[in-house]
Amino acid sequence: MIPGLRLAEAWAFLPALSIQERDVEREQAALTRLACWAGGFTSEICVLPPQTLLLEVAGSLRLFGGAAPLFERIVAGCAEQGFALQPSLAPTPLAAQWLALAADEAPCLDADQLPQRLGRLPLAVLDLSAQNQARLASFGVRSLADLLRLPRAGLARRLGVGLAADLARALGDLPDPRPRFVFPERFVEHLELPMRVDNALALGFAGRRLIASLCGWLVARGGGISECAFEFAHQRGAGQRPATVLVLGFTGVTRDAERIVRVLSERLQRIELPAAVEGISLRADAPEALPGRSASLFDKRGEGAGGDSVADLVERLQSRLGNGSVHGLSAAAEHRPENASRRVIPRLSAEEKSPARWLAAALPATAPGPRPLWLLASPQGLCEVGGRPQCGGPLRLLAGPERIESGWWDEAEPATVGDIRRDYFVAISVRAEWLWIFRGQEGWFLHGVFC
Amino acid sequence: MTSSPALAQILERSDVWRGDTLARAPLPGVPTGFAELDRELPGGGWPRGGLTELLPVRRGVGELSLLLPALARLSSDELAWLVCVAPPHPLYAPALHACGVDLSRLLVASAPGRDAAWACERSLAADGVGAVVAWLPEAQTTSLRRLQLAAEASRTLLFVFRPAACASQSSPAPLRLLLEGEGEQLVIHLLKRRGSAQAAPLSIAIHRPLRLNHALARPVPTAAAARSSSQPAIA
Repeated sequence: MIPGLRLAEAWAFLPALSIQERDVEREQAALTRLACWAGGFTSEICVLPPQTLLLEVAGSLRLFGGAAPLFERIVAGCAEQGFALQPSLAPTPLAAQWLALAADEAPCLDADQLPQRLGRLPLAVLDLSAQNQARLASFGVRSLADLLRLPRAGLARRLGVGLAADLARALGDLPDPRPRFVFPERFVEHLELPMRVDNALALGFAGRRLIASLCGWLVARGGGISECAFEFAHQRGAGQRPATVLVLGFTGVTRDAERIVRVLSERLQRIELPAAVEGISLRADAPEALPGRSASLFDKRGEGAGGDSVADLVERLQSRLGNGSVHGLSAAAEHRPENASRRVIPRLSAEEKSPARWLAAALPATAPGPRPLWLLASPQGLCEVGGRPQCGGPLRLLAGPERIESGWWDEAEPATVGDIRRDYFVAISVRAEWLWIFRGQEGWFLHGVFC
Repeated sequence: MTSSPALAQILERSDVWRGDTLARAPLPGVPTGFAELDRELPGGGWPRGGLTELLPVRRGVGELSLLLPALARLSSDELAWLVCVAPPHPLYAPALHACGVDLSRLLVASAPGRDAAWACERSLAADGVGAVVAWLPEAQTTSLRRLQLAAEASRTLLFVFRPAACASQSSPAPLRLLLEGEGEQLVIHLLKRRGSAQAAPLSIAIHRPLRLNHALARPVPTAAAARSSSQPAIA
């Protein structure tokens, strides 16, 4: 393609040509998204619209094992997100910019090599005005090497201070401070899909890019999230449907991209899209403090390598079965049987003393009487024949009565047991089932099974 | 008997056993807490990395009490997680606590229908889970086979409760137990194990709320007595 060609002419050359109109706003959004993602590598980022992103990586070299591995990781990460980039690495920002413009990908790590490396570049990278170009041509300057050879003071007098200062900045003789990219307070990123998608699973792919950018933002902000929300915008036009919102919750504060992607794909498997999706956005509120983590010297049991952790398990089960479907149990010091066993949110960090442990520690060592392993959700009425309760035959009472009564204090409240007056017995049926039954004012009830 | 070296090598394998002895398990089992049962199980306990099928004749014969010593040991001593999948009735925390189960290491997942087997599979894949106890009354052979394969890939104990009617069906589980109550004893029929067939059913004294000979000797209170005794006494 030749720039400046008219569309009709271009079509005449290449009938299969497809036209994309440039959308500056979307370019900007993509650059910001990439800047957020790059937060995973360094916090010193400068966004130069329309197309340049500068990362100062001097402080991150050790963490990522040197310049070459870091460079490779950044390039591979960008490619994974679907960006075609022209990377370069140099000791000064301007030199890096020029090297990138000239498509020179070999990293330059030493400031002493800069004049030699920059000298190979064509003058086109300098973005000179036509007047200056003509002047340089009249000096006989053909390449950057020729320009660097000229005395700086004379250059400033003939071509303006700007060019001479640029050369000094590129070589590191002058400081070159850049405006720093400010990571947003809340994460809101939108991604327009290149085509309409009606398959929920295909959304996971686009979601992955937003998640990568979210995680970079979280690293830069030094926190994690316990909840984020995806919004799927549907086809615009007549009869547009409101966006489908998918809220992902996590059992702990996280910034692990794999974990977020897994929960998303688990949820996407179950979602029904009312219409085709045109855009995805991801929202996350202010990051929360990440609990301190340290790698243990020895493989601790329960946190071994390989499989998922228990936190991942809980998350997976909850994302498929519903939020209340996974719970822990805690015993409480309460005389009414229904209240002595409570469902609790699973506590996954073993270090902190969980309420369940406190409650368990507060329990008396000896139980007031025998307690069954199963307590029916609601007592089941038993009929009475000849003064004996029946459950598939007459029941034999083995122990009891254990009187459990009173509870007037929460009688008026909803969903409580209230005031009770029951005599509990351990009973055995003719079929050798061990049961926990009680007699109340309404007769005999089966309440538990010693299974 | 003289056997060639190749044959001897084959007999060393854990998945090959002689018909008159118990197989050797690849991993030592978790002690059941009942010495007489440990003696009958390959590996000397509940097998790690294998599906154990439990077929109680009726609820309340002590089917869960049979597992509790091993579960208590896993949760308290090994600090492993216990996952209960789809229990038919709510589990009662004080009783579990009294049996020594560390409640802070217990997860209960309520999963309807076919999701229950999926939840088991996921739990087996997770690190730090010591035992999975599942109630799968409707499980098909295919999903049991999947579970058996998933269990083999892990070191987790997997117990699956199914109705006793399934005893006549074939099952991929390497260990199958039919459980029957007899007074305060639990009678175990080992339907299937790796090794010789069980000579006679095993009778085990599991934890029961009381001994039968200490049982109530008094007559059952009549309805009238219960009602009158429920009135608060005022002196």
